Amino acid sequence: MDDRLKETLSAMMDDEADELSVRRLLSREGQDEVRVQFQRWQQVRDLIQQRHPAVESIDVSDGVRDVLEGHYPRTSEQAAAAPPSAGKRWQWSAVAMVTLALVVGFGAGTGWDSSPVQPDQSALAGIPELAIQGMDEQQREQLSRYLLQHAQHNSVGAGHASMGYARAVSASGAGY
Amino acid sequence: MGSVHPPGRILALLLAVVVTAIISMGAVAEQQNDPSYWLQKLGPALTKTSYKGVFVYARGDQVSSMQVAHRYHDGVIEERLVMQDGEIGEIVRKGRNVVCVLPEHGRLELSSAIPSGPFAEAFTNQLMPVERWYRPEITGQDRIAGHDVVRLALKARDSLRYSHELWLERSTGLPLKGKVLSGSGESLEYFHFTSLVISDSLPDSDFVIRTEGREVSRTLPAGKGPGKSDRAGASEGQEKKMEGWTLGWKPEGFHPAAAPGSGSAGAVAFSDGLASFSVFVEPAGGTDMPSGTSRIGATTVYMQRLESSAEAFLVTVVGEIPLETALKVAESVDIRNSSVLGANLR
Repeated sequence: MDDRLKETLSAMMDDEADELSVRRLLSREGQDEVRVQFQRWQQVRDLIQQRHPAVESIDVSDGVRDVLEGHYPRTSEQAAAAPPSAGKRWQWSAVAMVTLALVVGFGAGTGWDSSPVQPDQSALAGIPELAIQGMDEQQREQLSRYLLQHAQHNSVGAGHASMGYARAVSASGAGY
Repeated sequence: MGSVHPPGRILALLLAVVVTAIISMGAVAEQQNDPSYWLQKLGPALTKTSYKGVFVYARGDQVSSMQVAHRYHDGVIEERLVMQDGEIGEIVRKGRNVVCVLPEHGRLELSSAIPSGPFAEAFTNQLMPVERWYRPEITGQDRIAGHDVVRLALKARDSLRYSHELWLERSTGLPLKGKVLSGSGESLEYFHFTSLVISDSLPDSDFVIRTEGREVSRTLPAGKGPGKSDRAGASEGQEKKMEGWTLGWKPEGFHPAAAPGSGSAGAVAFSDGLASFSVFVEPAGGTDMPSGTSRIGATTVYMQRLESSAEAFLVTVVGEIPLETALKVAESVDIRNSSVLGANLR
């Protein structure tokens, strides 16, 4: 099934498919495939929304086709091509929800990536890493003093007024 | 009848007006595409813009958010910074008066967090030929905290310093986002405003201490203002501070910028207009410090013992510079007069 048809199917689940697309979908060969796909998505949606599972056996395609042919008075409810329970009560499509979850998840993942940056050791092999955790309090205090003094040097300048302040505050924090 | 212009003349006049408009628009656009225009704007923008907002600051795996208010009022800079995460603390500055309310952090003496030296006012990039050490380039436009910004890349011309990237607000030139990048383009630290109001009418109440707590205030010694000190003057003053030791090597473009005021004769800061590092030289007697390096975000710490005429000294370099640079600086320290340095601690 191509993407365009999947899109139509997805739109139908949202009650947003236009008539032309639905016609195209129903006139397509391999209705079984379409039906299976639609039912699968319905199940996924029901699962996400914790609704009662849709009745799998109902095939409404004939009814929809009839509506489109104008055999019955057209209402949007009937054209929805969905099982009776799929009204307008829900606003988020399963597809949209999954997409949102992905986007949010991905965005959060990139934003909070805090993998430690290792100094390039190739030319500097042999320089011991200062184990700040292993320092005694006096040593740590001395180091903090240096960091704070340095931070205050660039508290206004260096093009980052806020950054200088932030460095000073950050240096006094639990990080060191 | 004679006052009626022939249609041809009116058309020509219109055309002239349109052409002039297009040319002047072009000039403005050209100016805005010129990185130097934005670099020149940066210094004044940092001091003279009045704004209030919240920014996020990240270095290494630490992320913190802070609220800041800044205004230029009757020729005096007023600032208030309030930490938004963890224990509450704030810093209020009015001209040279600084008041801090800070939480206790373990055993660290926090009064030392108050800027006791002059607020590095020599670090105004107007004085520094930043473009000699960084290649500036306008790399695009963006929107930060609801404001239109210009993205300015400052790529280091050598590997002795880090590259920077700034997002500058279009009308004022105020940096709303800034990044420090390693040679391989890795982001080492950044700040980023998430909300911001630029307004010349911030109320006085925005600049008043509101937190209850241990309050410490200090008046900064009257140092040279950014306008008053030229670089030669700063260097001269620095000669005295560097008494007892000298640097045999420093990366090109770095000049002594601020004298730390906390009484240790052995500390000097250097800046190239964007980045800075501080060098501390002290007798190793006081605290037994290990040698080595440590990094958080863009800040490198390098410590090393130095033996000079049977006396041991501790040389520490702290700065937003690569480890290679810090190492070379530390190794170039030459003790000239150990008694000057020693006398300060004993």
